[in-house]
Parts: sequence; structure tokens; C-alpha cells
Amino acid sequence: MDNLGIVFALLGAVLAALMSGIGSAIGVGMGGEAAAGVCTDDPSKFGKVLILQLLPGTQGIYGLLIAFITLSQIGILGGSGDISLAKGLLYLAGCLPMAFVGYWSALKQAKSAVSGISLVAKRPDQSGKAIIFAAMVETYAILALLVSILAITGIGGLNI
Amino acid sequence: MAVLQMKRIRICALKKDRKPVLELLQRRGAVEVDAAIPEDSVFSHADTSANRSVFHKNIAAAAAALEILDQYAPEQKSLFASLEGRKLKSDKDYAAFAQKYDGVMESVYRITALDRSVAENKAEIIKLESQLESLQPWLGLDLSMRFQGTGQTRAFIGTLPGGMDLESILAQLAGQNPSLPPVQVELISSSQNQTCIFAVCHKDGAAQVEEALRSIGFAQPSNPTKGTPAQRKQELETLIAQAKEEIDTAQQQIVSLAGQREQIEFTIDYFTMRSEKYEVIGELAQSKRAFVLTGYIPAKRADALQAELESRFDLAVELNDCDPSVDPPVMLQNNQFSAPVEGVLESFGLPGRGEVDPCSVMSFFYYFLFGLMLSDAAYGLLMVIGCGFALLKFKNMESGMRKTLQMFLYCGISTTFWGFMFGSFFGDLVGVVATTFFGRPDIALGPLWFEPVKEPMRMLVFSMLLGIIHLFTGLAMKAYQYAKQKAWLDILYDVGFWYMLLVGLIVYGLSTEMLPSILQLSFILPASAGTVGIAAAAIGAVGIILTAGRESRNPVKRLLKGAYGLYGVTSYLSDVLSYSRLLALGLATGVIATVINSMGSMMGGGIVGAIVFILIFLVGHTMNLAINLLGAYVHTNRLQFVEFFGKFYEGGGRAFQPFAAHTKYYNIKEETYHG
Repeated sequence: MDNLGIVFALLGAVLAALMSGIGSAIGVGMGGEAAAGVCTDDPSKFGKVLILQLLPGTQGIYGLLIAFITLSQIGILGGSGDISLAKGLLYLAGCLPMAFVGYWSALKQAKSAVSGISLVAKRPDQSGKAIIFAAMVETYAILALLVSILAITGIGGLNI
Repeated sequence: MAVLQMKRIRICALKKDRKPVLELLQRRGAVEVDAAIPEDSVFSHADTSANRSVFHKNIAAAAAALEILDQYAPEQKSLFASLEGRKLKSDKDYAAFAQKYDGVMESVYRITALDRSVAENKAEIIKLESQLESLQPWLGLDLSMRFQGTGQTRAFIGTLPGGMDLESILAQLAGQNPSLPPVQVELISSSQNQTCIFAVCHKDGAAQVEEALRSIGFAQPSNPTKGTPAQRKQELETLIAQAKEEIDTAQQQIVSLAGQREQIEFTIDYFTMRSEKYEVIGELAQSKRAFVLTGYIPAKRADALQAELESRFDLAVELNDCDPSVDPPVMLQNNQFSAPVEGVLESFGLPGRGEVDPCSVMSFFYYFLFGLMLSDAAYGLLMVIGCGFALLKFKNMESGMRKTLQMFLYCGISTTFWGFMFGSFFGDLVGVVATTFFGRPDIALGPLWFEPVKEPMRMLVFSMLLGIIHLFTGLAMKAYQYAKQKAWLDILYDVGFWYMLLVGLIVYGLSTEMLPSILQLSFILPASAGTVGIAAAAIGAVGIILTAGRESRNPVKRLLKGAYGLYGVTSYLSDVLSYSRLLALGLATGVIATVINSMGSMMGGGIVGAIVFILIFLVGHTMNLAINLLGAYVHTNRLQFVEFFGKFYEGGGRAFQPFAAHTKYYNIKEETYHG
């Protein structure tokens, strides 16, 4: 039973990368569809809509980040994988904010990015505002990232 | 840091000078013209919409011709074409062009006509080819498809549905009419969908044969040829070849007109400028012999323009201060350091009434925060080198592009600075390379300050501290705005009380045990400081409750609004927490760079390892730089727009749009004045 610690820890790392990655992939895909539509009309807007398309992509990177930090903390990237069950579960819990918030915030951010793209299609001068609307959603992904980072880097020092 | 002061200008001049006066104003680009003088018995506005629509038609035609040219004879453009800016053209060329544009427009229409003929011929070819296609099954027939028979016989040429062979046709015919007169059927071709046949019989039995044929689905071809199908095929092929030849000649002619490209581009600019001029003419108040132009001019350019106009023409220039009840258009002026962020400010909104231009304060924070988010020395150096090179190489760059590059140059400097502070150079590249390829794990680029990855709490506290400074600066900007309007009491109500409340709360928090231990601070303020802090906060809070709703007269409503105002303190909490993105984004850059480096070093040292390392290094860091540049840009903007501007700035000003030459391809420069 004691060996299960590393299993749960890896599950957490994988979940963070998995769910954020899926969310970002869907989100960037949605943005891409809308952006391609705008470019059929006016290819010169490419730069502006590209930024909006990429906005929901950051969650995937945050997920990767958490996964990587976790992997290096639990010793999968070199080191001993000797982790108690309690610690393994703690790592799993620490990864969950990024996993869940990453997934759903990417989807919601994609929706507001798509709306932003249609805003840019009609009024290209307002692209700054469109970016901000979508970036507001990202705040919560960043907060989740922060909690996950603080949790994961803190767990190593606990004595359980 | 300034919004330029505007003046009203009124120019009263003779109609005979209208063209040179307007052209001078257009070149100077200093006046925004408006139609402020209403029509009356003396003055009237000319309707120039007809002229302008002609200009726009010409512009559209020339643009279409350019597009066609691009299709057949693409211009060789360098990778950095967008940095090069518009080419220069002297105003003499502009004046001389008035005689030339008819010729250019002829080429324009010629190009469009040629393009149309290409399109028509292409459509024709498709039509001919489909005819050719439908002829294919009939090629075995060596008669005209309209052949009806000889004197004694009757011939039937047509198709039967489905694929059939001779036997089954004859069997079906016999099945329809057992006493069918003799009929000779020949199979011309047979495919899955149809069978083409030639049938011949004696004239007398023709009706019965036709009846029988029809009942098994015989149909005459929709489009029978006059000669034999083979002849027709040849005809069609000649026609197709002809059409192809015509396309070729038309395309060659278009390509031969590619030399006109510059002239056509200049035509677009020429008509754009004339259209702008006619728009202004429509706004002039004109009498029989004179005209009056009114508009806004930046105060610092007014005197020079007045002197220039009065020395060259017989006219009167009148300068007045703006009517305080009307908002003048906004034009910003900033120094070298702050001007680059004007574009960012414009994308939010220009300063509205009573607001100051926040660029100079904002630029400092902008570069600072951007650098913290990207925080990698190598990435910063790349930005500095890239932007610096482009700025030095392309002197003629458009000002918007120049400002953007300057902004990223400054951001790059800040990024480099923070990169060294946090010990990040392509992540941990120095250490990884030293360990993997030189076997020296003792070499690594240490941070000048500390490594955020190792001490995230310290970085978090630093981020929030920066946030508090940023927000307090925003409040101070609000005080500055009130001071400019001499609203001294408002400073106390909207800024002073908030400072008391917020600073008091922070001081109190630092004097308790909880906050310093959460933030891992090494000090606790003495309890007496805490008492002073909480007292100040209480005064501030009471002050806010009493004054935040001061525009309401009803005391109950006023108190309720005040309480709601105090509730705004929660927004400060979320605003400060929002600066934690500085930590998160900074870590993102560093950690991903580290991931790339450790992936690259997985093959170990040696030649193969080095090659793999270089490949992964190039691809990985390019991607990381691109994504984090975007992230840093977006989130720096957000911190400025939402957290910082939220404290004092709304925007809503109207940009100054002077009457000038808004050309696309050429920048018309004055050589010497003539005339």
C-alpha cells in the first residue's frame, strides 16, 4: 500500500496537464475557426485575430508547468520515487485546481475570445478591448496556477 | 505627459486662393476642419459628394487593378516590407500628376478589361470542355448526329438508359412488339449509365419502330452535332485552343502593364488626397468671392501656421481659445521614453474631459511589469537586438510601427534586467550546458537577487507589494486630476480617506501575528503601530461612508451609497491579488525554458547530443518566447487597464484627426515651395 503514494502524485500531475491541455486545445480550436472566418473577408486582420485565438492556449501551458513541477518534486525526473501515501494524495489535491479551473476557464475564455474576434471583424480599432475581455477570464486560471504551485512546492517540506 | 492644448482657428480667405491654401493646410496636417458656420444668405456649403464619389470610384478601380497585377506579376517584397514605411515623393510630382492620371486610369481600365476577358475565356473553356465530354460516347458514329435517314430508310440516333448490349436491346424491342418490322441496330458505345445506338429501318415501319424504341427508353441526344462527332470534336478543340491563346495574350498584356504599378499606387494616393480635400471643401462656408474655414489646431503649432499663411496669401487668421463647454479633440505629446505606450493608451481610450494623459506614469510601470512577467535575460536581449536593429535599419518607418518597436525595446531592457536579477538566461541554459557538455556541474548563472522558482512566497509578496504601489499611484493620479480641477475637497473624500483606510489596514495587519507569518515576513510591527493603523482605518472608513454618496441629497440614500462605497475595499483586495500573475507568468517562462533545456540534454553530451540539443533549443525557445511575449503583453495591458486605470481613468476622448494626406503608398514631401 505504501507504494501507492507515487501513483497518486503522478495521477495529479497527469490530470493537470491532461485537463488544461484538452481545454486549451478545444479553446484554441474554437478561436481558430472564428479567426479563419474573419480572414476570409479581410486577411489583414490576421495579426489581431491571431492574438485572440491564442489567448485560451495559456491554460495548457500552465497545466504543463504544474505537471512538470510535480514530476520533478516527486522524483520521476530523476531521484527516488519514494513518497508516502499521504504525500501522494496531497500532490493529487494540489494539482486539482489547475486541472479543473484550467479546463473550464479555457472553454469560457475561448467563448469570449470568439466574441472578441467578431468584435474585431466589425471594429478592428477596438481589438485592445476584445483582448481584455478574454483576458479577464484568464485571471482565474492564473489564481488556480498560483494555488497549485504554492501547494506543490510546499508539500515537499511537510513531514508526513 | 500632456494632452496638447487646442485652439480654435478661423481662416478667412479669397476663393481664388482656395486650392493653394487648402493644399498647404493638407501638407501641414495641423488643422482638424469642421463645419461650424451655419448656412445663411451669404455663406453656403458646397455639395462635393458627387466629386468624391468619382474619386472613390477611381480609387476602387485602381485598387482592383493592383490586385490583378499582384495576381499575375507579384511584386518582390522583402520580409520586412511592413517596416519600411511609405516611399517618398515630392510635391512637384504630385502637382505634375494632375496631367498624367488620365493615362494611368486608362491602364487601370485596360487591366480590368483584360482580367475580365481572362475570366470570360476561362468560363468558355469550361463550357466547351463539358460539350467535349458529352460528345465522347458518340465518337464512334461516322454520320452527322442529325442524320434522319435516306430516301427509303429512317434512322434513329439516340440513347437508351443503362448499359445494354445488342442482344438485350433486340430482345427488349421484340418483347415490346412481336411483329416489329425489320430493324438494324448498331451499338455506338455503352457505359453504365447510357447506351448510344444507331438504328435504321424501312420508312414504312418507322412509326412502329419508333414506338417500340420509345417504350424501352430511347431518347434523342439533347445537343446533336451538325457534322460527324469527330468533326465537332476537332472544332471544339480548336475553340478551346483559341480561348487558351486569348488568355495567354491577355495575361502577357497584364504582365507587360506591371511597370505601371507605381503609377497606379500613386493614383490611389492622389485620389485619396483629393477626396480628403473635397471633403474639407464641403465643410467650408463659401460666399461668392471668399471662404471661411474653421477648425481645431494644436496651440503650439498655431502661430507658425498663422505666420506662414499670412505671409503667402491675402487672408485673415483668427485664433481663439476653445469653448469650455465643448470637448476639443485630443492629441498626446510625450517624451521619447513615454511616447511608445501611447498606442496602448489609444487602444483603451484617449483622455476624456478633465483627465490627464497617464502615459508617462504608465510607461514606467508598463516596462517594469512587462519585464517581470517575461523575466528572462536572453529573451530580453533578443527583443532589444531585434527591435534595435529594425529601428536603426528602417529610418522611414511609419510612426505607429516605430512606437510599437520602441515599446518592445524598452520592455526588452526591463526583461533583461529582471532576467539577471532572477538568474534566468534561456532558463537554466548556462548550468545545463556546463553540466551536459563540459562536465562542470559547478558552473551556473546565479541570480543577482533570488530565484522565484525556489522562493515562490517571496516573489508573491514582492508582486503584491508592487501591486499596492501601482494601485496607490493610480489613486495619486486621481488626486492629481482633482488638483488640476481645483476640487480640493474631492481629493480628501475620494483619495485621502482611501489612503487612510488602506494604509491603516495594512499597518494593522502587519502588527498582528497572522499576516506576517502567512507572508513569511521576518518582522512584526509593534502593537502601538497597529492601534494607530486601525484608528486611521476607522476614520477613513467613516469618512468614506459619509462622503462616497455625496451627490445624493437624501441622507438615507447618501449613507447607503456611502456604505456601498466602503464595500469597494473588497475590490482592492482582489486587485492586489491580481498582481500574483507577475509571479505566475514569470514562473511560466522560467519553468518552460527549464523543461526545454532538460529535454534537450536528455541525449547527453557528444556530437549527437549537441545536435539534438540545438534543434530542441531552437524550436522550444522560439515557441516559449512567442507564447510568453503574448502573455506578458496581454497581462501587462490588463494590469494597466483594469487595475491601474480603474482607479482614476475612464478615457472617452476623441482623437485629433487633422486634415492631412492619409496616403497608403507614398509620403508626399515638400521640396521647395513653388507658386
